Amino acid sequence: MYSSIVRLQNTFGFFTTVAFAVACIIAASDLFSARTPSVGVLKTTNVQVVRGRPHYYSSKKEEYAIIRFSLDADLSSLFTWNTKQVFVYVTAEWPSAGGSGSGQNATNQAVIWDSIITSPSADHLANLGPVAMRKLRRSAAGKSIDPSRGRLSINNQRPKYQITHPSSKVANQEDVVLRLHYNVQPWVGILTWNPDEDFLKWKTLKGNLSRKFALPGLKKKDEGKTGTRS
Amino acid sequence: MLSSLQNPRQAAAQLMNFGLILSTAFMMWKGLSVISDSPSPIVVVLSGSMEPAFQRGDLLLLWNRNFFSETNVGEIVVYNVKGKDIPIVHRVVRKFGAGPQAKLLTKGDNNAADDTELYARGQDYLNRKDIVGSVVGYMPFVGYVTIMLSEHPWLKTVMLGLMGLVVVLQRE
Repeated sequence: MYSSIVRLQNTFGFFTTVAFAVACIIAASDLFSARTPSVGVLKTTNVQVVRGRPHYYSSKKEEYAIIRFSLDADLSSLFTWNTKQVFVYVTAEWPSAGGSGSGQNATNQAVIWDSIITSPSADHLANLGPVAMRKLRRSAAGKSIDPSRGRLSINNQRPKYQITHPSSKVANQEDVVLRLHYNVQPWVGILTWNPDEDFLKWKTLKGNLSRKFALPGLKKKDEGKTGTRS
Repeated sequence: MLSSLQNPRQAAAQLMNFGLILSTAFMMWKGLSVISDSPSPIVVVLSGSMEPAFQRGDLLLLWNRNFFSETNVGEIVVYNVKGKDIPIVHRVVRKFGAGPQAKLLTKGDNNAADDTELYARGQDYLNRKDIVGSVVGYMPFVGYVTIMLSEHPWLKTVMLGLMGLVVVLQRE
């Protein structure tokens, strides 16, 4: 009955139980840390619509919106000991031709820019070149949590993704808004997004919506040089 | 071991015990499947395309019901492509339209390009029905065992043998 196999089994069983309990406590600790992110500025700086092809071998012509924007946000309260990374993304949203207004019911939604902000303890996992990696690690030397990384101040940022629509038409689209979202990836536990309503100590992300704007008409070739900037 | 062979009643009890363990695990899996409405409620990450969020071997808990809102942009979903049996874990980056016919485009956080290349021939977007579930929970490392088992099949035999041996030797 008390053979070494049984003892080994019991030890392993106890180890997994304890590990699971500790993981649950760590996951639950997220609920007790306040999340009070805020957005200062989210606005477009320059909007263009150009014609292009989805990829090199395609002969299909589509219209692409290039939306430059400025963003000023403080997400530092999202960085706790259980935060592995925060995925920040900006979407452009617009209603369908016959559709409802923008917002949660927006029928067209596309990410134009995103960014992965790793916690210093997860820096080694980031997909970066050696120079950028060294710089990133030095920026938080000796710290395992670095809330200052959550302070974003981005000016006239080029979008990472040029967006289009399955109909290939986006020019002159009205009622477009930009919206800032975040997704907190824990070391263990539940993945969380910016809540629609206040939930315990987690506040909503206020001011994460830009003013409505319209996409301009297709940029003519001869207009290219004078390109408007506002 | 020999003693258990001499006593058929005890041998039968041990066989029952082994069967009970297996069927309990199976029932828990299927129960979770019913609760989450997903054919595979727990998946193991097999690729690094969502790094640094998910590494190979991490365990993901899926949820496939839309109680409060539709599957939206920003959610990390697991989807199947027709003709390929390996499910893929990527983030929804575009959504056009609403309801079951909404067109969804996905992309891995760690990939430069979106998933159009991964979809079936002539398929440009996913529909809701292609999605097996949205990731809601995360547990690191635990699934690495299954990767080891599928990459080194002989480990399976060894493990089954060990389990059988333990059950036979155990007398309680």
